[in-house]
Amino acid sequence: MATVTLQIDGRTVTVPKGTNLVDAGKQAGVFVPHFCYHPGLPVVGVCRICLLEIEGRPKLVAGCATPAEEGMKIITRSAKVKEARRAVMEFLLIHHPLDCPMCDKGGECTLQDYTVAMGPAASRFRFEKTTWPEEDVGGKLVLNKNRCILCLRCVNLCKDVAGVEEIAVLSRGEETYIGTIGDRKIENELAGNIADICPVGALTSKDFRFKSRPWELKNEPSICTLCAKGCNTVVGYHPRRREVLRITARENMDVNQWWICDRGRGQFRAIHAPDRLQGPSRRTEGKVQPVAWNAAIAAIAEALRGVLARGGPGAVGVIASAELTNEELYLTKTIFRDGLGIQNVDAPERSQSPVVYPKFTIEGDRNPNTRGARAIGVAPGTGGRTVRDMIQAASEGQVQALVFLRGGPLDTFGDPATVSRALDRAALVIVLDTHASPVAEKAHWVLAGATHVEKDGTYTNSAGRVQRVHRIFSISPESREDWRVIQDLGVALGVLPERAAEAEQVFARLAASTPAFSGMTYASVGDQGAPLTAASADVAVG
Amino acid sequence: MAGANGNVLTKIVHLPGSETIDVYRANGGYVALPEALKKSSDDLIDMVKRSGLRGRGGAGFPAGTKWGFVPKGTNKPVYLCVNADESEPGAFKDRLICAKDPHQLIEGTLISCFAIGSSRAYIYIRGEFAAEARILNAAIEEARRAGFIGKNILGSGWDCEVSVYRGAGAYICGEETGLIESIEGKRGQPRLKPPFPAVVGLFGCPTVVNNVETIACVPHIVTRGWEWFAGIGTERNTGPKLFGLSGHVNKPGVYEAPMGTNLRTLIEEFGGGVPGGRPVKAVIPGGASCPVLRGDEIDIPMDFDSLTRAGSLFGTGTPVIMDDTVCMVRAAWITARFFAHESCGQCTPCREGAGWLQRLLWRIETGEGEEKDIDTLLSVTDQIEGNTICALGDAAAWPARGFAKKFRDEFLQHIREKRCPFGGGSHS
Repeated sequence: MATVTLQIDGRTVTVPKGTNLVDAGKQAGVFVPHFCYHPGLPVVGVCRICLLEIEGRPKLVAGCATPAEEGMKIITRSAKVKEARRAVMEFLLIHHPLDCPMCDKGGECTLQDYTVAMGPAASRFRFEKTTWPEEDVGGKLVLNKNRCILCLRCVNLCKDVAGVEEIAVLSRGEETYIGTIGDRKIENELAGNIADICPVGALTSKDFRFKSRPWELKNEPSICTLCAKGCNTVVGYHPRRREVLRITARENMDVNQWWICDRGRGQFRAIHAPDRLQGPSRRTEGKVQPVAWNAAIAAIAEALRGVLARGGPGAVGVIASAELTNEELYLTKTIFRDGLGIQNVDAPERSQSPVVYPKFTIEGDRNPNTRGARAIGVAPGTGGRTVRDMIQAASEGQVQALVFLRGGPLDTFGDPATVSRALDRAALVIVLDTHASPVAEKAHWVLAGATHVEKDGTYTNSAGRVQRVHRIFSISPESREDWRVIQDLGVALGVLPERAAEAEQVFARLAASTPAFSGMTYASVGDQGAPLTAASADVAVG
Repeated sequence: MAGANGNVLTKIVHLPGSETIDVYRANGGYVALPEALKKSSDDLIDMVKRSGLRGRGGAGFPAGTKWGFVPKGTNKPVYLCVNADESEPGAFKDRLICAKDPHQLIEGTLISCFAIGSSRAYIYIRGEFAAEARILNAAIEEARRAGFIGKNILGSGWDCEVSVYRGAGAYICGEETGLIESIEGKRGQPRLKPPFPAVVGLFGCPTVVNNVETIACVPHIVTRGWEWFAGIGTERNTGPKLFGLSGHVNKPGVYEAPMGTNLRTLIEEFGGGVPGGRPVKAVIPGGASCPVLRGDEIDIPMDFDSLTRAGSLFGTGTPVIMDDTVCMVRAAWITARFFAHESCGQCTPCREGAGWLQRLLWRIETGEGEEKDIDTLLSVTDQIEGNTICALGDAAAWPARGFAKKFRDEFLQHIREKRCPFGGGSHS
C-alpha cells in the first residue's frame, strides 16, 4: 500500500495514501474535531469544524475533505484555526436551544462536548431563535430540528448505507431542514443507527429517550445473536435498575463496520420480556411446579439414565441449538455424543429471508452459531437421527426421551402436528431455554437458561469469526448460565469428570480438542473476535 | 465587421430579428465555426490563451487555461456547460446575448466544444429567463437545420449536440459545481473542490463551465485573431466587455466598451449621468457581491485587477449606481437579504452567518441597533469569509463588510438617531 508521510502539529506520521486529514490526525494523536465526517459515510465537508491550516496555503481547508499529501505540514493549534473553530461553534449555536438539561443526548453529545472544549462561552446573537415542533419521522426516531446542525449524517446513512432516500435536506439557506417527504416515514431497518451517529440531540431513539442519562449506563461490549452475522454491539446496562436499556452498534470493520440493524437494536426488549423462564420447573399431570436446581438436575439425570438403561442410546434424542455458544455446544457434544454415546444429536436450522441493503445485509440464518455447531460437530453420529427424524421417531415411540437445548415454536422442529405428537408421546421431554414457548409448555422439565448478555461464551459467525459475549448481569438469583446447567447435567450423568469454574476453561478444552479452534483463547479472541483456525476450519465446516 | 461604434459583441442586438439565423448570418455569423473546424484543438486553446480572455462570470479566470485543464486523451465524454444562470443583482448582460443574439452564443458554444474535445453542451439558463430559453431553443433548432448542430457538422466528421437546461430559481446554481449538480437533477449545491470540474464534472466526466459572455467572445477571437482581442483593453484585462449599468443613471442598459474603461466614463458618458445631476454616493461595481465604492472612488478602470487593488471586485462588470438619496444601511440589508435567501444552506458559516448579517443590518436600519452591532457585523463577515465550500459565503460577507466600513458614519447615525435618516425602516 502506498503511503505518505506528513507532519501534524510537529508530529510526523505515515498514513496510507488517500487518508484524509481528520483520520491522519487521529493516527498522529492529534484530535481534529468533526461533526459531519463519519468514516462510514460519504464526505460532505459541510460542518466546517475540521478546518485546519496547511503551511503555505492561504486558506484554511476542511480536514475531512483534504487527503494527506507527502511532506504536508498541518497546523491545528494556530490562532487562525482556533478562531475558525470558535466561529463555527458560535454559528452552530445561534439557533440551538441550548436545552442540554432536558435533551436526551446530553452526556454523549458531540455538540455539547465541543462547546465545552472550544465554543464561545456566550453568544453575541441577540435575536429570536428559529424554532420547530418535534416530529415523529418513523424508524423509531424522533426529530427535534431545533437541535439539528445539518451535518447530513442521517440523510447519507439512509442514502448510502441503506440505499433509500427516506429523509432529505429540504428548503435552503437558514431555513434548511432535515425531514421526511410528505407522509413518508423512515422505514429501513438500519435507521436506528441514525440515533447512534447523530452528533446532536436532533434524532433520538424512541426506545431509549428519557429512560436514563447515558452516564448512568454501564456500556459493555457484546454480540448480537439474532442472525449469523454476529454484529458487534454495546449493551447499555443500568446497574441500579438491573436492566438493559439499549443496544447500540460497536465498530468492527471485519463484521458490521459501524452499523447494526433495528432488530438487533430492539433485542434488549426480549431480555426483560415477561415470558422469561424463571428457574427449573417440573410438569406433572398438567401442573407446573418450581424445583430447586440441584434437585432438578439430579432428577433429570436419573430419568435420562432410566431411558438409556431401558432403550439404549437410540432411545434418546438431543436437539441442540445453534443459538447456543461454542462452549455450550462443546459440552453438549462431549456429554451426549462422546460421553453417553447418543448418536441422535442435531440442531435445527432457523432461517428467514435475508434483507440486503447496499452496504449492510441482515443474514438469512437466524442462528448466531451455525458455523460453531458445525465446527464442533454437533450433528448426528453414526446411524444417528436428524432433528426431523428424531421428532418422527418420537412420535412413533422409538425415541422416548427428547432433550431440547432451546425450545421455540413447534414448526422449528418439523411439521407442527408431528412435533406435537412427539412431545405428547415421549416419556421424557426436557427443555433448556430462556423464554416460554409451545415446546416448553409440553415439557416435563423446563430449565431456565440465560440470554447472551447473562453469560460468558463465544459464538462463531457466518464468516467463521469467533466472538465473545460477557456475563453482564443475572436476570434473577435463580438464573444460571446454560453452560453451567449442561455441565451440571454431565456431572450428574457421570460423564464429566470435573466442573470448569469459568467458561474460559471450557473454551480452553474446546480449543485443545477441536482443530478449528486450536490455539484460540479468550485473550486471542479479544473484543474484536478472531477467525477460526484457517487450516482446519474449512475441513470441519465441510 | 464591427457594428456601430465598433461594437462586436452587441453588433446586431439592435437589429430587428437579430435572434434569427438569417440576420446573424447576414452580419457575418457562422463564419468562425468553419474556420475553427479547420484548426486543431490545441491551436484553438492556444489562441484563446493568447487572447488573454478572462472569464466574464465574475472570477476572471483565464478561459484558455481553464480549457487546458481538461485531461488530454480522456476516454470519458467531455462536457461544456454554458452558464446562463445570470442571477446576481445588478447583472443582466448575458440575458441580452441570449435574447438578442443567441446564435453568437451557439456559435461560440460549438467552437468551444470543438476546442475542448466535447460533443455535448448544455446551456444552463436561469429559470426566470423563460422567454430567453424559448429564443435559445428556437435558435438551436435553426442552427441544427442549417447543419451547425448534430452529426458530421459541416462535413467535418465532428458531432455536437447543444441543449438548453432551465434552472428552477436558485442563485447558487450559477456556481459552477452547483450548476453541474442541478443539471444532474440533484439539489443545487456546490461540490467540494478538488476535484475540479475539468477533471470530475458533469456526470463524473471532464467538464468546462464558461459564462455566456466568455463563450460569445470566442467566435470573434477565431475570425479576428487573438492579437485583435489582446489589443483591446489593458495588458492583463483584454477584449471587449459588456457593462450593465443600473440604478441612478439616466440611461441604464448594457453597453459594450473595452475592458478597463473608466467607471466614471461609463456612468457619465454611457449612462448619461445621474438623474437630476445628483451626486454619485456609491457604486456597487460588478454585481451585488462586490464591495461598494464611495462616490469619490469611481475614477477607476473597470477591470479585474484595478478593482481588486481598490479593495472591491470587478465581478460581472455591471455597476449599480446610487445617488445621495439612497440609505447605505438599507442597501446593505437588501444585499444581505438576497444572499441569506440564496445560500444553499449546506455549510455552517454561510447558512448561519448570512442570516445573522441580515438581522443585524435590519436592526440598525430600524434604529434599534447599537454600536457593538457594527463590530459584530464585521466580525461575522470575518467568520464567514474563506471558511465555506463555495464563494457564496464570501459573496455574502464582502458587501456587508464593504458597506459597514465605507459608510460607518451613516451606520452610526442610524444608531445615534435611533432611526433611518432616510425615512426607511420598513420592509418593502
